Amino acid sequence: MGRYLARRLLESVITFILVTIVVFLGIRALPGDPARALAGEESDPATLAQIRTKFGLDQPIWLQYIKYVNNALHGDLGRSSRTGLDVSTSIRHALPVTLQLAVFAIAIAALIGVLAGVVAAVRRRTAAEWAANGVALLGLSVPSFWFGLMGILLFAVAYPLLPASGFVSVFDDPVQSFRHLLMPAIVLGSGLAAIIMRQTRSAMIEAMGTDYVRTARAKGLGGGQVVFGHALRNSLIVVTTIAGLQLGGLISGAVITEQIFVLPGFGKLTIDAVFTRDYPMIQGVTLVTATAYIGINLLVDLLYSVIDPRVRVGGAAL
Amino acid sequence: MSTIELVTVDTAAARVPVTRGRRGWVRLRRNPLALGGLVVVVVALLAAVLAGVISPFPADHTDFASTLQPPSIHHWLGTDELGRDQLSRVLYGLRVSLSVAVLAVGLSLVVGVPLGLLSGFYGFLDPVVSRFTDTLLSFPFLVLAVGLAAILGPSLTTVTVAIAIAGVPGVIRVSRSETLRLRGLDFVAAAVADGASDVVVLGRHILPNALNTLIVQATVAAPAAIIGEAVLSFLGVGIQPPTPSLGVMLSAAQPLFRDGPWLAVFPGVAIVILTLGLNLLGDGLRDAFDPKESPR
Repeated sequence: MGRYLARRLLESVITFILVTIVVFLGIRALPGDPARALAGEESDPATLAQIRTKFGLDQPIWLQYIKYVNNALHGDLGRSSRTGLDVSTSIRHALPVTLQLAVFAIAIAALIGVLAGVVAAVRRRTAAEWAANGVALLGLSVPSFWFGLMGILLFAVAYPLLPASGFVSVFDDPVQSFRHLLMPAIVLGSGLAAIIMRQTRSAMIEAMGTDYVRTARAKGLGGGQVVFGHALRNSLIVVTTIAGLQLGGLISGAVITEQIFVLPGFGKLTIDAVFTRDYPMIQGVTLVTATAYIGINLLVDLLYSVIDPRVRVGGAAL
Repeated sequence: MSTIELVTVDTAAARVPVTRGRRGWVRLRRNPLALGGLVVVVVALLAAVLAGVISPFPADHTDFASTLQPPSIHHWLGTDELGRDQLSRVLYGLRVSLSVAVLAVGLSLVVGVPLGLLSGFYGFLDPVVSRFTDTLLSFPFLVLAVGLAAILGPSLTTVTVAIAIAGVPGVIRVSRSETLRLRGLDFVAAAVADGASDVVVLGRHILPNALNTLIVQATVAAPAAIIGEAVLSFLGVGIQPPTPSLGVMLSAAQPLFRDGPWLAVFPGVAIVILTLGLNLLGDGLRDAFDPKESPR
């Protein structure tokens, strides 16, 4: 276990370093001069030079990189070239929005996915299984942004039940927060729900055929107790791990969901930064995203190796 | 003589894919959902190819006498704020979506398969290629695609390249693990013992046998590519108006929610039907070729 842990940690560190290089160089490849974008259309060379010096854009690229990494490791991601605000402060403000949205979305996805998966596995070859499978397939096929548009069209425009946009923190006003986040969370969670449903279903089908479930039945336990107390409890380990792998996908989903529902979160920060060529901001958000991604993957891999020892023994071969 | 023939290159290579593949097709034909998916995909492909013939109006034909018309006999899917026929635009949009999907998936196969084969076959290349895929995978698809679109400037080529690059890690992983699996099998060992060069082993023994899995991977990547195109164009970093892409149409529909809600409905329905068809076909192919890997 120690060797596996060390290897995965080393791999993650190397990946992280590569990511910082890609982020740093990728941003330099963007067209347009950030100094010019900052100074506006009618700018004289003196102003441009002043801005370049101020943001360190006139230094050699490797020096800019080393400075960048050094500052980033100290929590300083630079200043937005658009708003002049601290990048890390902007991220700190945006992150709670996305986190609240993500937690809500995961809760909805887990609830729907696990229930539908259990129903589909226990009631095999019935209308219930077909319905659950059908909904899961739809969840995978309907693009979430269109799902969001249809939600707004139905529940905000045609029947104004829910707000179409805006954000209220759950800590300020739980009721309003729920109303504002309900649609975005369903939109963001729909794909995850479908994946969780499929995983739960296959894990449950396997579990229902095992000896310990037969033993539980033979002991005279009720159907519900066998399904939820025995089969589901064991299935959830695998389901949690596989759902964990999908968490990174939520970050992608949040980008588009926040754009549609105008939520001032991390995803919207990303898109706005790309559109305004806000170099430091793009670097900051991609770095944070990629780090989170690497961290999640490492955690999931380690969890996996705890559940399935074959991963760490045969991991090098397959 | 016959004993020598057993281990020669051709016998070993030809037999395995044919039987495995044929059994797969027989299984696929017994799966009504997968056949339904296949029909949807074929119809969509035909509609896209024949868009110029079957659409009632040219895609950019404006008619200011009939702007924002709801669906009618004349305009089956209604018209937009410039009086353009939505059915025609959806058909042309389908052409754009499908060509992006085919090109993007093809491109990620062209880049990813050799990398996956090499990294699975030559152990010393594996860490390099694996770090490369990990790095690519560290960026969420949309962040990567939006970033690339920003670098290359919004256009059809950009969208295709961005989606292709986002698809490369998946292709590498699949072809790498297939190579690792096949490398350990007897017929490959026999070919190596027979003196076959690495190129022959990879190209004639491993690649043909990995094909089924790669086809499944392609059908998984295709709906993602179609949705990816729509999302990027919707965000404004993809295909630009007036080109009738499904994402562009949805983006243009957003401010017209109250006056023309149908504008937001039909392009989305087209995407859903297309991706649903591809997903059904993909699930069916996976069940048919690789029942063990199936989530069902």
